[in-house]
Amino acid sequence: MAALTPYTFIQCPCSDSSTLGRPSDANPAANATNDDDEEADEDNRTFDPRAPRSNFSLYPLEYLLYCEDCHQIRCPRCVSEEIASYYCPSCLFEVPSSNLKSEGNRCTRNCFQCPICIGPLAVTSVETKPDPSLLAAPDNAAAPHSGPYALTCSYCHWTSTEAGLKFDRPNNIHAQLTKLRNGGLTRLTARERRERRKDPAYRAHLAAAAAVAVAAASEDVDDVEERGRGPGIEEKESLDVETQFANLKSFYQAQLANPNSSDTGLTGLGDLGFSSPTSLSRIMSIYTGGSLRDKKAKSRVGAMREALDADEGFQPARLDESAAIAALQAHGFDGTSSTAQLAEQPVNIGEPAFPHGQAHFASDLRPVPHLLRTKRSKRCPVCRHIISKPEAKVQTTRFRIRLVAGSYIPSIAIRPLALSPIPNTSSSFSSTSAPIPTSTSASASGPAIPGALLEPLRPAHFVLTFKNPIFESVKITLGAPAHTPGRFSSKVTVLCPEFQIDANTDVWDEALKEGLATTGGGAASGERDPRERRRRRGGTEDGSQSGINPTTQLEVGKIWERGRNWVSIVVEVVPPSLSTLPSGGGDSGLPLQEDEDVLEIPLFVRVEWEAEMGGDEVGSVMPGVGGSKEKGEGREKRELAYWCVLGLGRIRR
Amino acid sequence: MSKRHSLHPGSSSNTAAPPKPPVHLSSSLTIADSTLLAGTHTISLHGETVIHPRARIESHLGRVSVGRKCIVHERAVLGAAPVSSSSAAAAVVRRGGGGDGASGGDGAPAGVTLADYVTVEVAAVIEAGETVVGEGTVVGVGSRVGAGAVIGKHCTLTPHSEIAAGEVVPDSTVVYANGMRRTDKRGVAELKNKTMARQIDMLRRMIPSNPAKFA
Repeated sequence: MAALTPYTFIQCPCSDSSTLGRPSDANPAANATNDDDEEADEDNRTFDPRAPRSNFSLYPLEYLLYCEDCHQIRCPRCVSEEIASYYCPSCLFEVPSSNLKSEGNRCTRNCFQCPICIGPLAVTSVETKPDPSLLAAPDNAAAPHSGPYALTCSYCHWTSTEAGLKFDRPNNIHAQLTKLRNGGLTRLTARERRERRKDPAYRAHLAAAAAVAVAAASEDVDDVEERGRGPGIEEKESLDVETQFANLKSFYQAQLANPNSSDTGLTGLGDLGFSSPTSLSRIMSIYTGGSLRDKKAKSRVGAMREALDADEGFQPARLDESAAIAALQAHGFDGTSSTAQLAEQPVNIGEPAFPHGQAHFASDLRPVPHLLRTKRSKRCPVCRHIISKPEAKVQTTRFRIRLVAGSYIPSIAIRPLALSPIPNTSSSFSSTSAPIPTSTSASASGPAIPGALLEPLRPAHFVLTFKNPIFESVKITLGAPAHTPGRFSSKVTVLCPEFQIDANTDVWDEALKEGLATTGGGAASGERDPRERRRRRGGTEDGSQSGINPTTQLEVGKIWERGRNWVSIVVEVVPPSLSTLPSGGGDSGLPLQEDEDVLEIPLFVRVEWEAEMGGDEVGSVMPGVGGSKEKGEGREKRELAYWCVLGLGRIRR
Repeated sequence: MSKRHSLHPGSSSNTAAPPKPPVHLSSSLTIADSTLLAGTHTISLHGETVIHPRARIESHLGRVSVGRKCIVHERAVLGAAPVSSSSAAAAVVRRGGGGDGASGGDGAPAGVTLADYVTVEVAAVIEAGETVVGEGTVVGVGSRVGAGAVIGKHCTLTPHSEIAAGEVVPDSTVVYANGMRRTDKRGVAELKNKTMARQIDMLRRMIPSNPAKFA
């Protein structure tokens, strides 16, 4: 069983369980409208870390942000994000958002991914392809590449020639690729299509091809060369999807423009069906809400006919899948494209073999231009202040604004405590100067190895170290249920639920004072230092009990240890026995669920401090959780309260 | 996975230098001074092959034969003892060669054969047991070829690929991404061989050869 590192998760108040009865609403502004009876109810409720909903609201401290104006924790779920810039992750080129609308969300430079293995693709010459895995000799590198180029993957050795894609020029591959269909056919633009249709040579070629197709279909249905052509259907012209759409659109627009187009077609359906322009315009008016069309429509009588010809966009469905079946038989399942590969593929319309942009075979996959990524700034949803803003430049990873919660709310570190029969004397603590209790962890670690299994029904002790990041001294009140919620309930005792942590000071100031104290050792520094370097067990503010016997340290209401801006307290837990024998009834007979042996205790943390008056304050704060302000002389009292979950360890089964 | 096996696992009683394996070295071979050759069967290294320093060639289980114009990189092991001897024995039995010779090492051929133009990259391991690597194949960094595997021509094993014991890999296969397979359709075998010949030319100038040490 994997050892469990103790952890602390903080519940973001945005998902406070007072919203449990309502549809999921991540906006804490809605919470501000709660009335007082719900607040009273809130006091009696215990947060259950095992509730399924808690999975979505617990975050490590590092994930959380803090709104300075609302004085509120903000989690990734309750910030509103704004896209600051779009960029290509491959070439780190920032794409203007205006280009995004016209060119889509993929990189339009030469950044391509392999459709097989998502490796980066390189442009190589088809004629003299050097193996990228080998060192190219200098004379080869100097040789001028010529001829057609292809994209190759140096990892899985896919090349775009497998899809029949070759490029004339080594640059501007993206533009060339959009004009190329699989197999090297050119994909025509709309204007080129129109011009081509007027060309008599092309018409003659089509007629010949259709004749060949009919002949082939009558002789050999399974001919792979005639892939996609329906046998027996007198096919006039095979259109790609774009042409078909353009033809259909122009046809129906002509139909709508011509009110008396009842010359032929599906008039048998009568005026009831969709073929009637009246019903069509009625449907349109339902969606558009416009009444203008009704008047016009009244003048229109008769029915629209449907498209009959390739010129009008009519295409018989290609129901002959013998080519696909033959390819499947030839290549097997390995030759087909996987779902993940298809998901990576950009939509490629204009391919007659797979009209909906879905390639069935791996040989039809095309190079994938890199998807663009975004840099986002985050705003508080209540006061709309920016709480995280990256620098606009793509190459920099710095932030202009980033209000992380770790610099506003105290961090909680968990450490197992072994109460050895002969504890350390307090002399080992008097000489320590580091603000972090490294020496104590070394001295106190007896049998309590971090991550060790907890013995059931035997009290275990944990040291919680609260470290104050702000430059004000804070008062912390802890609340924990005596019995943890859940099937196996542990007994929890917080030995010191209320204490004060001194203000964080400048690290340099601290270091200088330390140096003064150790070198000088004078009376003046000796008077000042105890306040700064107070580090003793079980002592109160005046330091008179510094020589206390350590065996009596686990006193209720006493701080275990304190330092410059941190305080350690002790929590005693009695883990339950995890026997799942049916002992009394209920659901205790069920087998042990996953992670049910992890001892998690919910802890309500309430932080109070006095701060300088801010500027304009935002009034909407959550009851019980927000900052209630009592105005003083330029100082105001702030409080912040939240649930957190301490994962202490696994219980031995 | 750079386990440093003891060079001579069987020489606990004899602390002196063990006998050199019988070798058959080509005159145009480039073999570095710190290459390790060990074993009891013949090791034959053919012309214009380059063996990098600290490559290890073991012939404890059978004859090791390296073709022409091969490159064996640093810390590569040819003829390593199979991880699970039962699978190697099964492979040998399946291929009908040598009977029960692979695991016992009692003289039956259970070696490694590298064809021409094979590249064995850094820290790749090719287990002994009638293992064959075809022409122009690249065995990638840290790959492992199981005992009795037969790899076709012009294959590519991407780094850290594993070929199971006794497996037969068809020609021009690319083994990538945790054992996925696909067929290399580039058809650049000739080009690759040319490039490799140039690389060997360069390596011959850079690696001081000392075949006399092993003869």
